[in-house]
Formats: sequence, structure tokens, C-alpha cells
Amino acid sequence: MCNLPVRVICRANAEYMSPSGKVPFIHVGNQVVSELGPIVQFVKAKGHSLSDGLDEVQKAEMKAYMELVNNMLLTAELYLQWCDDVTVEEITHPRYGSPYPWPLNRILSYQKQWEVRRKMKAIGWAGKTLEQVLEDVDQCCHALSQRLGTQPYFFNKHPTELDALVFGHLFTILTTQLITDELSEKVKNYSNLTAFCRRIEQQYFEGHDKDSSAIAARSSKRPLLR
Amino acid sequence: MGTVHARSLEPLPMAGPDFGALGEEAELVEVEPESKQEILENKDVVVQHVHFDGLGRTKDDIIMYEISDVFKAKNLIDVMRKSHEAREKLLRLGIFRQVDVLIDTCQGDDALPNGLDVTFEVTELRRLTGSYNTMVGNNEGSMVLGLKFPNLLGRAEKVTFQFSYGTKETSYGLSFFKPRPGNFERNFAVNVYKVTGQFPWSSLRETDRGISTEFNFPIWKTNHTLKWEGVWRELGCLARTASFSVREESGHSLKSSLSHAMVIDSRNSSILPKCGALLKINQELAGYVGGDVSFLKEDFEFQLNKQLLWDSVVSASFWGGMLVPIGDRPSSIADRFYLGGPTSVRGFSMYSIGPQSEGDYLGGEAYWAGGVHLYTPLPFRPGRGGFGDLFRTHFFLNAGNLCNLNYGDGPRAHLQRLAECIRWSYGAGIVLRLGNIARLELNYCFPMGVQAGDRICDGVQFGAGIRFL
Repeated sequence: MCNLPVRVICRANAEYMSPSGKVPFIHVGNQVVSELGPIVQFVKAKGHSLSDGLDEVQKAEMKAYMELVNNMLLTAELYLQWCDDVTVEEITHPRYGSPYPWPLNRILSYQKQWEVRRKMKAIGWAGKTLEQVLEDVDQCCHALSQRLGTQPYFFNKHPTELDALVFGHLFTILTTQLITDELSEKVKNYSNLTAFCRRIEQQYFEGHDKDSSAIAARSSKRPLLR
Repeated sequence: MGTVHARSLEPLPMAGPDFGALGEEAELVEVEPESKQEILENKDVVVQHVHFDGLGRTKDDIIMYEISDVFKAKNLIDVMRKSHEAREKLLRLGIFRQVDVLIDTCQGDDALPNGLDVTFEVTELRRLTGSYNTMVGNNEGSMVLGLKFPNLLGRAEKVTFQFSYGTKETSYGLSFFKPRPGNFERNFAVNVYKVTGQFPWSSLRETDRGISTEFNFPIWKTNHTLKWEGVWRELGCLARTASFSVREESGHSLKSSLSHAMVIDSRNSSILPKCGALLKINQELAGYVGGDVSFLKEDFEFQLNKQLLWDSVVSASFWGGMLVPIGDRPSSIADRFYLGGPTSVRGFSMYSIGPQSEGDYLGGEAYWAGGVHLYTPLPFRPGRGGFGDLFRTHFFLNAGNLCNLNYGDGPRAHLQRLAECIRWSYGAGIVLRLGNIARLELNYCFPMGVQAGDRICDGVQFGAGIRFL
């Protein structure tokens, strides 16, 4: 969105390569920066920023919405992948362990599952049922949908970090195959959100297909929005 | 040699079958001055019985093999020698704290006039021994707990467990060792372990959790080891400033490999030998029995020692190795060879020769290293006959090279690559021998042939270790 040249590389050990243990991370020259917040700071320090045009109130609002997305959508995604037994067994374990040979694939999946469940317990989500989680997702989408309204982006004309974050999560939810479609249905209930995702995809990703083979690989792995 | 008692020819009650545990201890009788004395030295004797005193949980069959030679002795000197050898073999099993040998004439109904009885008085080790130490080193303190179960099931099986709990890392190891009854050189061992290592020269941290089984057996004069090892390796960066090439290697991998090692060792000692030669060849093939790391690794070590005039020894050694990755995945930093440091090419910092990226040494897929040493006693020989004998002065010339080969080229191109950019060094120093296992060195080195990227340590360099070039 900032029009900076970027190459996306997929690695099985990306999680371990990252200095903080979380993806995504960028490698620029000699520096490695991980997670969205620090990446935004880093890019800003180099002189590019998407939220320059916002005033203080709007910036605070944007931060609040980003926190909402992180707390709700991200946690719901983790919950669904790691705490719902059916999904864990059929989708997550094979997918997480696929780069590794037996028995390492089982060991690493179980290790990650234990870690995520411990985190869920710490934030109080361990006791939630799937329905409650889907309810929370629904509420979050409702809030986002209301904020978006009929505008093309969250802060009217130009995309900001919030748009990038929301797109990332919603696109993943809409295009990842799970056991049931309940989660993506919740998002599809809000037509302006799906339109928003499609718009960003068309504008920023389909045009760049010829430039980056990695993005082409990515788009072949994930079906486009229907 | 232990104690050898020779008895007089007085009759005394002796009970017990051919061999087996005796319930009561045999009594000793003082040797009384006899009016007639027999010269026993070259008299033909027959060993009729061998008794064992003090066996508890040790099984009979394993003892049988070790002492079978005693029966073949023909005269008294032979009996003494064979008993001594049997005693050494029994001690080597590692199940007895003490072994004493008692030889006396045979008594009883079936006693021949030149019959002898040999009695071995043994004290078995306790079922469980433990040790507890604290260790401080490398900015880390740790508690080490060790447990040992010698002779677990009666046939010299040994189980050891070691657990180390440190401020930074925890590691443990459990191993089971079983020799073949009758042939201690043939044995097998199973180990389960978790070890962690920190390698600041590569900014790398490695945690290995693995299982290995190995078989050792001698063939003629060589000793062979066949080993299967399965290791779950976790690599990580030691610092945030690690280079990206090292960062790329982070993550998990599983190595399942078969290896074979052959050792021929005719030296008189493994530390500062005076004569003899050593040849060690090691092969490792990974990837065909599981795991995701696939390579063929060859490694050899050769050393030749010769004694010269005035107690000085000249020693030449040569090491080399090659790692060929199989398949299209590149080799992992944990499998590659490293060169440099006080234990290999002196004058360079630890493992700081060869391919590197931003100060982190990545290791190489092929290397060779050679050294020529002259060891002499300390000048003016202070402390001769005692402490001074542990020290030697040594003059050395070391050379070596470490690089990555392009496996598409032929052997001539490989040799050429290994022969260009040779690093070498010369110097002199003092060596201190620590028991029979380790040595300390303090050297003054002049590194030469330094390539861009190598880190040198010219001047005084200190080294401690077990295996030196």
C-alpha cells in the first residue's frame, strides 16, 4: 500500500527465524523487524506512512480499532485453529506439521497447541465455547462494518494501517478452508466488509501478479474471493 | 598385582564346587617354616579348581569367560601370570571394586599331587552410586547430578544417568551399556540425551534431543563402531545481531543417521604419545532412515609419533573431511565442519576460519588440516622425575583450509580449491598433561596465510581439550 518494492518468501521455519517468534517479519538490508507495529514504525522512520493525513483523534481511533481486531479476530482465529478439537485434528495438525518428518510433525504440533491453549487460558478464552467465540467475531465485524459504512476505506479516501490489518484478517477468514464455514459466514453477513476485501484485493494484489512469482503462488494456494 | 598367597602343604578343609559363590570365607594359615622346601618354579602344575569369593548379583557365566585361561596354565609362573591377566579382565568389567587372587595347593579327595586351587576374592560395587557437583563456567552455573547403576542385571550391564540444571540451560542423558559375556570388546550401548550448546563464533544456539544406539566390536587389530542416531535439532540465534544467514538456519530439523567408525590405535598413550600411530575413519549417512536432513559425511584423522634423541618426540598429524549433501536441500550449519582455534590450527580464533557472513562463521563442507610438532622436555628439566615430567615444550607448524566445494566439478577442481588460500601458522609453547585424558597448552603463535574474514589470535593463545591437531 505504500508502494514500496517487496518480495514475499514463504519458509517453513519463518516463525523461528523471527526475532520475536511471530510472523510477519521483514528483512531490509541488515535489519530484521517483526510484527506489524514495529514494521509500521520502521517504515515510518524511513519516511513512508499511510496515516500521515490523519489528525490526532483519528489516529487514536485507528489504534483502538486495531486493538479490537487484534484482540478479537486474531484470538478467535487462534481459538478455532487450536482449541476446537475437530479442527485441530483434521486441519491444523497436518498443516502445521507438514514440513517436518514423523515424529517431529506430531511433537511440534502438540507443542504449539499446548502453548496456544496456555495463552487462551491466560486471557480467559479457554472456557468459551465455539458459539461464544463466533458471537464475539460477529460483534467485532459489526463494529467494523459500522465504522466502514459506505466508504471505500476506513478513513475515507486513502487506506491506512487499519485497512491493511483488517484486510489481512478478513481475507484469511474468507479464504481458508476449515471444517465448517461458520466463521466465514459471519463475515459474509456484512456485505460492505466483503466488498472492501474484494476491492483491496483487486487493487493491490491482482495488478502485481506478474511482478512477483511468490504472490502468484500465494494466489494459487488461496482461492480468490467468491 | 594384588595379593598372592602361597600356602603350605598342610591339609585344611576346603568346601565348594568347581566354581560358584562360597558362603564362608576361606581361612588363611600362616606359612610355617618347612624342613623340606620344594622349588615350585618350573614344576608342572595343573589348576584343578577356581573359587570365587564374594559374588552377589554377578552371574556365573560372565565370570567363566574371563577366567577360562587360568586353567590352561602349565607351571606356577604361568598360573601367576594368567591369574593376573584374569584379574585385569575382571576389573575391566567395571563391576568389582577390588579383586584379590589367592593361589594354593589343592586339597580334597580328587587332589593331584601338583594340583592348584586359585581363589579370587572380589568385592562387588554397590548397586547405586551417585555424585553431585556444581559447575561454573561460560557465564553459567549449574548443578550436575549423576547416578550410576553398575552391574544392573548381573552381567556387567551399566546404566548411567546424568542431569545438569543450569542458570541458562538444562541437559540430561541416560545411557545403557551392555558388554557381550566373554568378549568385553564387543558391546552395545543405548543413549537418550538432551544437550544444549552455545556457539558464539556462529551466534548460534543448538538444542539436541536424541537417541542413539551403537555397537562396538573388534576385527583383528581394529575397533569398529556402528551407530544409529536420531536427533531432533533445534537451532536458534544467540543474539539479535546474528547475521541473516544464521537466522535462516533457525528452526527444527530431524536427523536420522547411520554411522560407522574404525579406529586403529597403536600409540602408547592418547595424550602426548611417545610412539605409535592412530588412524580413525568415520562415515555418516543421514536421510535414508527417516529425518529430513540428508547427507554423506566422511572424516578421517591420522597421527604418527616417533621418538628421537634426548627424550624428544616428533609427531605429525593430518585431519580431513568432506560433507556431501544429498538431494536439493543445502547442508545445515549444524552438520558442517569448523576449523581454527587452539585445538586445531593454532593462531586463529576458535572455529574462525572459512566462510563467514557478517562475523558469524558458517562452517564449510570440506576441510583438511595438518600439523607437525616437536615435543621436548622443559629446558634445564626442572622438577625432573616428578611434576616437571607433566610439562613438555613444543614447537609446531600447523596448516589447514576449510571451504565449500562445488560438487558439480571433478576431483581435480576440488583439490585445487582446497589447495588455494591455505592458512598456516607456526610457534612454540608449553604443554601440560592432565591425567590421561586432557591437555593444556600455552602457545605463542604466528598466524600466516590469513584470508579476509578470518579472525586471528596472534601472540599468546591458551587451549584446553582432549583432541588436538
